[in-house]
Amino acid sequence: MEPIALTEPVFLVLLSLAEQPRHGYSILKDVERMSDGRVKLSTGTLYGALRRLLDQDWIERVEEDEAPRDRRPYRLTSRGRRNLQAEIERMRRLTKVAALRIARKEV
Amino acid sequence: MLGFYKGLLYLYPAAYRREYAAEMISVFRDAHADISGATYCDRLSFRMRETFGLLTGAAQEHLRVLCGDSSLTPLTRFNIRPEFRFPRSTVILMLVVLSGVLLTVEKARVVQSKYGPVYVSMWPSLAWFLGFVLLVTFAAAACLWGILFALGQTGTQRLANLEPGTNLKD
Repeated sequence: MEPIALTEPVFLVLLSLAEQPRHGYSILKDVERMSDGRVKLSTGTLYGALRRLLDQDWIERVEEDEAPRDRRPYRLTSRGRRNLQAEIERMRRLTKVAALRIARKEV
Repeated sequence: MLGFYKGLLYLYPAAYRREYAAEMISVFRDAHADISGATYCDRLSFRMRETFGLLTGAAQEHLRVLCGDSSLTPLTRFNIRPEFRFPRSTVILMLVVLSGVLLTVEKARVVQSKYGPVYVSMWPSLAWFLGFVLLVTFAAAACLWGILFALGQTGTQRLANLEPGTNLKD
């Protein structure tokens, strides 16, 4: 398994692409919506993350003939999806432990 | 603002600009249109965020080109192991050292203003003194490392003894 514990912007970008392929602006708005407006990515941060994800083969461009050059959609690769699932599992276990600890403290 | 944004894009490496500039401008244009009806504070925050994002992004891309290392901007967080963190006492120790240095500088300034500048060359004795300090430091470090090695507590020995991938217990 690959190292997990993703940075928050990268995690949210992957989560946004998990549902469907999206282009840059759509990812930006979806990340903002998912985080209740708490995470607002700049275009510099977004495309820095997309470039690294493309380099590591976690996402890929969807080749569409009719898509304009400035609105190219991206989608998760199977490797990216696997890593996202691993990260979600890690977080699930962590929140479970946290909930148990809090419950013990309250008793 | 769009002109300023396009100008900042020139800070990126040429290859990156060719690949992503058109998309970035398009996304920026849409985001800018979204924010046009917002309050002054929100618009200011948007502009600062975009400017900072481009400056840091350009710096990271240049570093990547120079070093050829994507680990400079990793996808994953750096997980520091709690047992290898500096103890909090290190901060106090560093503050004590800093205070000592500042006090010494201040004391030297007082002495100089009281007795005037001294025109005696200090370099010959300083070289011997520095050599002696270095020698003592190396000797102390070697002794300390020897003791740690005998106890099996040097950094490499501790790393070698670590269990990789320890899981959380449910």
